[in-house]
Formats: sequence, structure tokens, C-alpha cells
Amino acid sequence: MAAANGAGRILAGGTDLLVQMRAGVVAPGAIVDVKRIAEMTTIVEELGGFRIGAAVSAAVIGEHERLAQAWPGVVEAVNLIGSKQVQGRASAGGNLCNASPAADSGPALVAAGAMLTIQGPKGRRDLPVEKLHAGPGRTTLEPGELIVSIVLPPRPARSGDAYLRLIPRTEMDIAVVGCGVSLAFEGDVCTSARVGLGAVAPTVLLVGDAASALIGSRLEPDAIARAAAACRAACRPIDDKRGTIAYRTKIAGVLLARATAIAAQRARSH
Amino acid sequence: MSAATDKIAFNVNGRDVAVAAAPQTRLADVLREELGLTGTKIGCNAGDCGACTIRLDGAQVCACLMPVAQAAGRRVETVEGLARDGRLSPLQQAFHAHGAAQCGICTPGMLMAAEDLLARDAAPDEAAVLDALGGVLCRCTGYRKIVDAVLSVAAGAQPAPVDVDGGVGARLAKVDALPKLTGAEAYGADAWPADALVLRAVRSPHAAARFTVGDLAPLHARFPGLVRVFSAADVPGPNAFGIYPVGKDQPVLADGEVRYRGEAVLALVGDGATIAAIRDEDVPVSWAPLDPILGAAAGVAPGARRLHARLEDNVLVRGRVARGDPDAAESAAAAVATGRFETSFVEHAYIEPEAGWARRVGDRVEIFVTTQTPYMDRDEVAHVMGLKPDQVRIIPSAVGGGFGGKLDLSVQPLIAIAAWHLKRPVRCVYTRPESMASSTKRHPATIAARFSADRDGHLLSAVFEGDFNTGAYASWGPTVANRVPVHATGPYAVPHVRATTRAIHTNEPPSGAFRGFGVPQAAVAHETLMDELAAGLGIDPLEFRHRNALRVGSVTATGQRLEASAGLQACLDALRPRWRDLRAAAEAFNKTGAGALRRGVGVACMWYGIGNTSMSNPSEMEIGVARDGRFTLFSGALDIGQGSNTIMTQIAAEALGVPASRIRLVTGDTDLTRDAGKTSASRQTFVSGNAARLAAEDLRAQLARLGNTDLAALPEISPGFVAIGRGRFDPPTTALDAEGQGVPYATYGFAAQLAAIEVDTGLGTIKVLRIVAAHDVGRAVNPQQVEGQIHGGIAQGLGLALMEEYVPGRTENLHDYLIPTIGDIPPIETLLIEDAEPLGPFGAKGIGEPALIPTAPAILNALHHATGVRVRRVPATPDRVHAALREAGVAP
Ligand code: FES
Ligand code: FES
Repeated sequence: MAAANGAGRILAGGTDLLVQMRAGVVAPGAIVDVKRIAEMTTIVEELGGFRIGAAVSAAVIGEHERLAQAWPGVVEAVNLIGSKQVQGRASAGGNLCNASPAADSGPALVAAGAMLTIQGPKGRRDLPVEKLHAGPGRTTLEPGELIVSIVLPPRPARSGDAYLRLIPRTEMDIAVVGCGVSLAFEGDVCTSARVGLGAVAPTVLLVGDAASALIGSRLEPDAIARAAAACRAACRPIDDKRGTIAYRTKIAGVLLARATAIAAQRARSH
Repeated sequence: MSAATDKIAFNVNGRDVAVAAAPQTRLADVLREELGLTGTKIGCNAGDCGACTIRLDGAQVCACLMPVAQAAGRRVETVEGLARDGRLSPLQQAFHAHGAAQCGICTPGMLMAAEDLLARDAAPDEAAVLDALGGVLCRCTGYRKIVDAVLSVAAGAQPAPVDVDGGVGARLAKVDALPKLTGAEAYGADAWPADALVLRAVRSPHAAARFTVGDLAPLHARFPGLVRVFSAADVPGPNAFGIYPVGKDQPVLADGEVRYRGEAVLALVGDGATIAAIRDEDVPVSWAPLDPILGAAAGVAPGARRLHARLEDNVLVRGRVARGDPDAAESAAAAVATGRFETSFVEHAYIEPEAGWARRVGDRVEIFVTTQTPYMDRDEVAHVMGLKPDQVRIIPSAVGGGFGGKLDLSVQPLIAIAAWHLKRPVRCVYTRPESMASSTKRHPATIAARFSADRDGHLLSAVFEGDFNTGAYASWGPTVANRVPVHATGPYAVPHVRATTRAIHTNEPPSGAFRGFGVPQAAVAHETLMDELAAGLGIDPLEFRHRNALRVGSVTATGQRLEASAGLQACLDALRPRWRDLRAAAEAFNKTGAGALRRGVGVACMWYGIGNTSMSNPSEMEIGVARDGRFTLFSGALDIGQGSNTIMTQIAAEALGVPASRIRLVTGDTDLTRDAGKTSASRQTFVSGNAARLAAEDLRAQLARLGNTDLAALPEISPGFVAIGRGRFDPPTTALDAEGQGVPYATYGFAAQLAAIEVDTGLGTIKVLRIVAAHDVGRAVNPQQVEGQIHGGIAQGLGLALMEEYVPGRTENLHDYLIPTIGDIPPIETLLIEDAEPLGPFGAKGIGEPALIPTAPAILNALHHATGVRVRRVPATPDRVHAALREAGVAP
């Protein structure tokens, strides 16, 4: 891989790479098939959380019961990657590596506070998932580096997460806006919150101001409104045929409110 | 780990295979090209369509996205493995019995996805079926019969009996379904001689540009497998094709200037690997881009550059239908409704991209190709090649969907010219982006319309002005001029009419034929305005339409008196109970205060002239009987999935008085059949069906004259046949005069549909909950096929209403260009009205296009019922709906 001068590409499911090769977008010097590397293809429970191999397929993630209990929002998001026939081979790691701001796994993993374990020629390092993307199609990975696994932190009692996205048709589509929310409560009071937004900026966003608006509140309408406003303020979307700037910005707030309600509901029953 | 040459071994359908292929080769390519398993289809090569769905160790995967190396040591199942010992699997049988395969190109993928589901879950519910099949697109069926078929297997029911003998009125199973179910069917990309060269067109990346081609020697030196590069200079005849004699303006290969993005400039021919390796950047074309003319308004703007020297103002054609004095009538009206409407480019998105191969045989050229119109292809190819028509033979492949898009030439002239010059077979398969960029589209329309009515709710006047963006070349643009103004009033009696249209050239894709030829766009306008007039007069929208519906004895805008078979009122009567219930239910739902959700129900109507407008469009058929008493119907009517093979068989069987299973079909081959015109304008059942009936009646009369003579004892009058019946039918029409007066069509289809929807006012999204469709088809020759056409038309109408918008350069694939998936199509109730057409075969009219036309306006009217908001631009995407809701204060 390193010998290929950074032109090597990682083939996990191959779902996007083969498309890009055909379209002439990439002409990889070498293709590494990581589906055969054990560490990258398993889910293990670790320190109360989960370590998910970067090449684990969306379908396998979807079937992991304890993971789905702890991080339902993350699992929902991963299950929205591609169609059923792609699910068996598309992976969260691959989805992240494409660095599409609209990739469904991004906002949910950002909200979850996921850490990436990265292996490179110079050894291993950890990287918060929100630091991975440099822009559409670009990551901060060094040549020769690859994501080995994704670590999700332990879940306290009374915590929950959710992911919602807007697409114009029922399935098989790319988010016009995606929003992940992860919350934890003590009693009725929100004690921690993270909000991730997708498809509204060149990279997936971690919206700190939205989280601050929720933390310390009981999710009163006013707190939700402030968090939604923070989401709208964070948006720097493009205008395209899937949605105007005004629309995407507005919808970021609507999805924040709805995802927060679902996450809170899950936290109550967690 | 790069190109290892070790063989990759896996198991396919129980057989161990080992292939020498680069590890990253797509499994779909290996299955098709190396192993000959062409039942696995390629619709996009990008994971978007699911046509390539196979099972890998039991689980459904896209074979186009799977590197063959990842199949090593695993179990691959394809559609060819489903039938055992010549017996269809239960799922295949269910697809057969339910009519779940139309063109059949999606069928292998659907079957494999469903097999995966049923293996995991023996009793799935509908939600599970929708989920499992959600990754496979179908453009023909509207999915509902597929869902029914899968559920019937899940329920463990005995497979429904398959009718193979029925005549007119029977739910005869598709006579050509078996190969579509087993994967044996040969579509355009599925058959080719081993020694065929491969052709790929180099296409313009610019909407408007001049260009020069540099020295090709370095390219040849670098790619020794490149046999020849063809350019405009190699076109032997006139380098201009087009449907209409006045509109032969499209070059096979552009000559120094391109007029739209995607136009073919050069054709590279060589061995497959070489052609795949050459990128456009490698080819020495220098471009001098011009300012493109985008949008019809820019085309007619003062001083706009001329696209074609012969047209001063970029207006290809103008249409006009005028009757009475609409301005005077309007001034006396009790209510007037006015609106401006806009529609977008819409892509046909058949799942089978254009494909075929050609070879030269002496001084003839034979072309195997996916097409809707073999005879027109023959004549057009002959024209550009400077040959006589009988020097060209078109052998139609099975067609994986057309919808009007395969009425124009695509690969035909390219492969014909290459095969002619090289004297070797030449094959060409478009990629999905190439298909989308180069092929024709539905005309975007800008319509300004005004209708008025008197106090009693009777329509008085209609004024309609439509500008249609006809793109770079004429194609079927002239139909806009003649078909649209005739239909501009909608299916209503309007005494005073002025309807004018223009087809305007731009540097955008040629707009051609697409299911409805401009009438769906017009229906968005008139059906919105009907609702507004009804509201203005305080009349129920359905009753308002009923009051004004064209009926027997009505006079249309062209002065035609309808003599029979005008069943719109019967359609509305059939809908009325559902209308009342669904409207009341929606209003009750909205009263419960369901948060951001609102429900609404809308109605819309349509009429559609069957066959070509004021033009002779005859069909001829022959039917022969052999000594063994078996019949062969020679039908030039192309079945593109809509079912004409079955319909022609049923009509002939009925007219002969024999079971349908006694009739064999020979279709489409221009050397073997007679011209039955195009598969378009909903004409095959009515026009070709009549020819089939007349041929069968002729043969029956001949046999009657023979009395009890033993057929086996008769001499053959042509090889294999002792008697041949012939039939010809041309619908009686007259030319339209300068004011558009005359008899443009012999008969019309009528329909009314209800759409029940739910709007999420927070997001601007619309979910269609139910469609109820009432169609007057004259006589349903095969109710199952009629339902299939209605379902498929509704799916396309739903796409037109809510999501489909083609933007050159931006949506040239099936993930940026959205068509409805299985989850988008609601339950559909069909109500068939049979107001027999005396001219039709056993009373039948057409259904292909009528099915699509009312759906979009019914959804828009439902949106208004739900929210009070009008959207006048389709598609009504979430952002447009949301903006309208905000403007009206319905959404925050
Ligand atoms: S061909 Fe594989 S998904 Fe379309
Ligand atoms: S039958 Fe599904 S695409 Fe034609």
C-alpha cells in the first residue's frame, strides 16, 4: 500500500470504488482488499463500548442486537447506506472514507462521539470522527493510512440517540439533510448532548451550540428552538436540485427537533 | 494484490467454475461475458438499479459492484439457476400468474432479491417485501403486481393457475413471459457474435461548441487494439436523421459543431479491452465552447443564436386549435381561473440501456437492436447510409422498456456504419450516463392557461399557450404542435377555444416521444384550473368535471363530434363513492391534529387520442396456418413490455375461434413481418389489433371456404403454410385545417383518477397513500395487462409529479435522477370501464399513455385539498412544496 505512493485504494465492499474506477474518477495504483483482515471485520465489546471493524458490513452491524440497543441511531444510519443488495458489503468505514458530506453514517457517528483507530506506516493513532473529513471527497488521512476500527463509547443509563434524514423518495437515496442526536439525562435534565449534521456543509458538522442549548434543559420548547436555531446557523449548504440553501437550512432545524424527541424518548426507556 | 492472473474459482448455480480475470473485474461482467449467464442484467453498473442482483451465499448482492475476487470460494446463484428441470420455481410461477414481469429486464433482479427474502423469512408481510425489494428498480410495472406475486408465494398458496388459452377478455398470461422469467431472453446487450468488435461513441461534454479532430495516428499507435475511429465524414448517406421529413436535422456523428451535451462526435471501434481503456481525454478533439441556449425562453429571446440555419427564430413548429370567440365568452363568465405552469425534462429511465450489434451481409446490413419501431429504424438507417430500405434488416431484440425513448435512433446507425465499412460485426452497449445524456426526453413545458365557466358550472372558454423546449434536434417535437392543442381543453366540452403551442430549439437534449407526447404537461394545467373553477363556483370538483365531461354527441375543440365510446362520466360515476369516503376520511384525519401531517384527496381526468394525429398510421398483419393446423401470426407490432404480443394473440385467437395456445408468434423482424407501425401513441391494441383481427377473419373465411378439407392434404402456398390471412387497418382521420379543425383521431381513451396523499408540512414531503384509477378502455382485451399498464403509468405519473427532473450534466445516473422505488408506489385500485368502441377490435381502445396522464394533477390537487397550497411547477420536490407552504403560512 505504502509502496503504491498513496495511489493505493482500500477495497472493503467495493461499492463506491468500482463505480469511481469505471467513471474514471480514480485509477488506483493498487487495490487492497481489507475484507480479509480479521481486526477490521469484527465487532467486539470493549471497555463498556463497542469496537467496530471498519470493514464490517452494514448488514452485520444491523443484526448486532446489543449494539442496536446501545446505539440505535448509529445502527439506523448505517442501515441507510445504499440498497439492500449493497448492505451486505457496504461498510461504515468505507462510507466514512468517501468523505461525502451526505453519507448517512457521518452525522450519527459524530453525535455518538465515535473515535477512529487509524493504522499507518508510522503506527496507530486515534482521531475523533468529526476530524476525518477535510472537504467533499477528501479526508485528513495521510498517504498509506487506513481506518481500522470505529470505537463507540459506553452508554450510561438514560441515554439515547437517533438519526433522521430527508430524502425525496422512500429509499435508495442520498440525504438532502441528515441529523444525528445523542443525549443523556439525569432525571429530566439533559446532561450531555451531541448533534451531528450532514449534507449542509462541505463536511459533516458537529454542532456544539446546538448541544449547549440542550444541555441543562428539560428539552422545553424554548431549548429545542434554540438548538434548532443553532443548527440553522451552522449550515453552509449548497443550492442544488435536491434542495435550495433556504430549504436545507430550514430542514436542519426541523430534523434536529424531531431527532431530539426520538433520542429523548429512547433515553427514557433505556 | 494487483492483476493476478491466477484463476478465481467459485460455484455458480451448483456448478464449479474457475475464471481467469483480474480480481477487480465486476462479477456481473464475468457472469455475462465469460460464463454466458446473461440473465444477470446491467442497468447502471453503479449499484443504483438492482438489475444485476444475484445471491452470494444466499444473500442478495449487486453483481455490478462485486469484484470477482470476493466471490472466490463462494456460492453464486443467478436467475438461470431458479428453474429446475424445466420447471419454474414457485416464485417464477407466481410472477407469471400475476403478470409481474412486463418488459422483464428487472425480473431477474426482482426474483433474486425475493428468493433471498423468502429463504430468510418464509412468511414475510408486505413491509418486509418492500424492504427486501427496495433496491431493485422497475420502470414498467408500478411494482404492485410484483409485491402481490411475492406475497402469494409467502402465503404458501397454490400458485395461481396460468391461463394459456383465453381469448378476448381473458387474463391470459403473457405469451412471451417464460424467457423473461428464466433469464433466457435476449435483450439488446445479451447476444453478440464472438468476433464482434466493440464500438463506443465519444460525446460532447459541452452543450454548444465547435470542434476539430486532431491527428489520430498517435492514438492508434498508443492503442493497437483500436481498429478505426469513425467521424462525420464516414457517414455514407446524408448525415442527418429525424422522424419527420421536415425534421431530418440530427447528425449521426456531429460535423464540426455540437448542439447538446452528450451528442456523438466520434465512434471508436476496436477490441473490447482497448475500447474500455481509451478515455475521452485520450482522443484529440479540440473544443471551442459557445454560449449555450438553455431554456425555451432563451431560444426565442430576441437576437438568440440560431441553432439551425433553416430556422430564423429557433421555433421548430407552431400549433393552433381555435374555435368560437373565447375572449367574448370569458367576459360574460361567472368564474375565470388562470395559471402558469412549468414542467421539467423527464428521462425515460428504461432499465435497459440502448444496445445492439450489426453485421454486413453482402450489400445488406443486419441490425439486432432494442427498439420500438423496427420499420422506421430500417428506413432511417437506410437513409443515412444511402441504401435502399430493403438493404437494411432490423431484428428487434427483446426490449427492456421504451416509453417512447426507443422510437429514435441510438446505436443503430453507428454500428451499421462501422459494420458496413469494416465488414465485421460491431457491437455497442450504452453506459447508463451515456444513455441518459444522449437520448431524448419529455419536453419541458411552460404553459399559460385560462378557463372560464358560467354560473351553472358549464365551461365557456379555454385559452392555452404552451412553449415546449424541444432541445437541440427535431425528433418528435412536431407532435407538440399537433397533439397538445387538440388536448388542451382536457376531456371537457368547451365551446370557445384558442390553444397555441410552440416547440423551441435549445442547446439541451432533444425532446422526443415520452408516454403522452405533451398531454401530461397540458393536463397539469387544465386539471388544476378545473379545481379552481369548481372552487370559485362552490361546486364539488368531481361533480364539476362530471357536468362538463365530453360524452357521446359532444363536439371537441377541433369540431369533431364524438360518435361513441366516450366513457368519462362512467369513470367519474365509478369513482364517486371512493371520492366521498376518501375525502371525508382525509378531512377527519386533519381535524385530529396529527402534528405536521395533513391528508388530502384530489381528482383529475384525461382524454387521449389513439394513434397518430391526423396522419395515416396503418398496420398490416399476416396469419398463416400450417398443415398440422398450427397458426403463426406475423406481427410487426413490437412488444416493449406493454404486452402487445399477448394482446395480438388473444385478438387473433378470438377472431379465429381457436385457443390462444395454438398460435405462434413471429414479431418485429423486418424481413419476416409486415409494417405494423410504431409502438407509440397507444395505438397497437386499436390499430394493430384491428389488423390482427382482420387477418384472422380473412384466414377464417378462407378456411370456411375449404369446408372439411384436410389441411395436411393441401399444397403449401408459401413455405410452411397452406393458407395465409391478411389484414390492414388505418384509423379514419382527417387533416386539421389552419384553425386546427378536423378529425385528428378515430377514437379517444378517457380516464379519471383519485390520489390520496399525506403531506409532512414540516419537511414538505408528500407520501401518496392510495390511487384509484377508472379508465374507459373500450374493451379490456386482457384485464391483467390493462391493470399492469395502469400501474406502470401511475408510477411514472407519480415520478413526474414528485421527483423526476433531468438536468444535463447533473443527473446522468440513477442516483441523482430519481425514479419511484417500490416503497413510493401506494396500493392502486383499478376500475375498468368498457364503453365499447365500434371501430376497435372487439371494442378495444388503447391504454399505454392514458394511464400516466391524470396522476400528476390528481396529486397536485390532493396537495391543495390537504394544505390549501397550489404548486404549479413539477416535480413538486420537498423544497418547492415547503417553500409554497411557508409562503402560505402553513409551515413555520
Ligand atoms: S447494474 Fe448493478 S445496480 Fe444497476
Ligand atoms: S418489467 Fe420491470 S423494468 Fe420492465
